[in-house]
Parts: sequence; C-alpha cells; structure tokens
Amino acid sequence: MKYILLMAGSKAGVDSYRAWSKNDIDAHMAVLTSINRELTESGEFVATQPLAAPHEAKLVRGLKEGMPITDGIFPESKEFLLGYWIVDVATPERACEIAGRISAAPGPGGVPTNMPIEVRQLAIRASQS
Amino acid sequence: MKYILMMHGKKGAWDEYARWSKDDLQRNIEFMHRFNKELHDAGVLVDTKGLAWPQDAIVVRAGNKGEAVTDGVFPESKEFLAGYWVIDVETSEEAYKIAARASAAPGPGGEPANMPIEVRQVLGSHNDLGF
Repeated sequence: MKYILLMAGSKAGVDSYRAWSKNDIDAHMAVLTSINRELTESGEFVATQPLAAPHEAKLVRGLKEGMPITDGIFPESKEFLLGYWIVDVATPERACEIAGRISAAPGPGGVPTNMPIEVRQLAIRASQS
Repeated sequence: MKYILMMHGKKGAWDEYARWSKDDLQRNIEFMHRFNKELHDAGVLVDTKGLAWPQDAIVVRAGNKGEAVTDGVFPESKEFLAGYWVIDVETSEEAYKIAARASAAPGPGGEPANMPIEVRQVLGSHNDLGF
C-alpha cells in the first residue's frame, strides 16, 4: 500500500524555520536523512521531495483561450506544502509510525518539532504505476 | 527547473465531485490520460499521482516518547490534496501554461472545471532551500 506523508505549514511557520540556527537545521536534516536511509534499506522508500519556500507560490486557472491567469494572493491561514514522502508499507499503522518519526525530528534546541504530518493513501491506479 | 502543480479541494468540493455523472467523470478522466500522455511524450512529465479520498486522511504528531499520535479531525477550511504533477520545464511561464490546461479540464457538462492549480518550484534537496 502506498501512502503519501505530507508536511505543510503556514508562511509564518516557514519564516520561523528560516530563523533557526545552523546547528538546529543541521541536526534536523541529519534525522530526516537517516529516516530516508532506513526506509531505503527496509524497501519502503518510494520518493521524497522538498518544495521551494512558498513566497513564490502561484495559483493558476485557465481562461477559455487556454491562457493562464495567475494569482499570488493566499489567505494567511493557507497551509503550504513543504515537502512529501511516498512510502510503500504493509499497513496504514506503519505509515503513521513513519509519520510520527518525521514529526519527532528535532527543532530548535533539539526539541521535537511536533509538526503535524498528513497521511493519505495514494489512489490505487496511481500506486500501481 | 522542476515545478509541482497541485490540485486541492475542501471536503465540499470532493462531495460535489462524487456526484458528477458517469459521462462527466469519463470525460474528465479521458482528458487527464491524454494530458498526461502529452506531457510524457513532450519529455516534461517527471511524476504524477492521484490521492485517495480525504475521508481516510489522518494527521500524525509525535507524542512525548516519539510515538505516533493520530487524529482524523480537520477544520472545515482544510484543503485536501487531490493530486499533483511534477514537471521539468525551462521557465515558470511554461509551468503556468501547463497548469492552466489542467485547470481547464472538463467538468460537469463538459464545461472547464476551472480548478485553481497551485504552482510551486520543487528542489533537488533540502540544501537548495538556501540556508
């Protein structure tokens, strides 16, 4: 079963992350890297992808002529995707366990960030591809 | 440069989608297949995925001992990811054009669904965040 683990945050959350010390960022990244390595070794890793900071995010709609209309205004409450992991696991509980470990990655001063991680199954058709 | 094009919707939008007629659904799915094939043939498609219905979405936080604490309650304003494309194009304008085509995918009665598509650059690694 393929699951996607989504990490999202508001602009304010991203700004506070940008203020972390280099040591805090390094410690955080080291844990995420080791989780990725473990998932690779267990054969559960499918993909992971960090997204650029949300300041250049655009919303696009199509006009009748097919020309894009773009808009860069979002409500303050908007949750921006920061990154995702796709894992191939035996049970939904295992997907949640991995999400819990990502949530426990250290933040400032080594305290777990406790970031909420949304866990969703991929559509069956997509997960077969 | 790689961009991710994301389709989101609140639960209400998903409920509406669940009520589309079979013909409307079929037309939309055929469009998506053609669109994906075209992106693939043009060499710009990196990945595309659809997500399962949000009714089963779970949010996980680490507890005190690092255990997974799960919750299935979301605010009504919550936008759920429906699916995404990762594309590799030269400019952001190209990404916007492709997003506009996805937005114009047919909805009920064949009219463009006009879904907003969020366009964001994706990074090679966390190091590219520029800290």
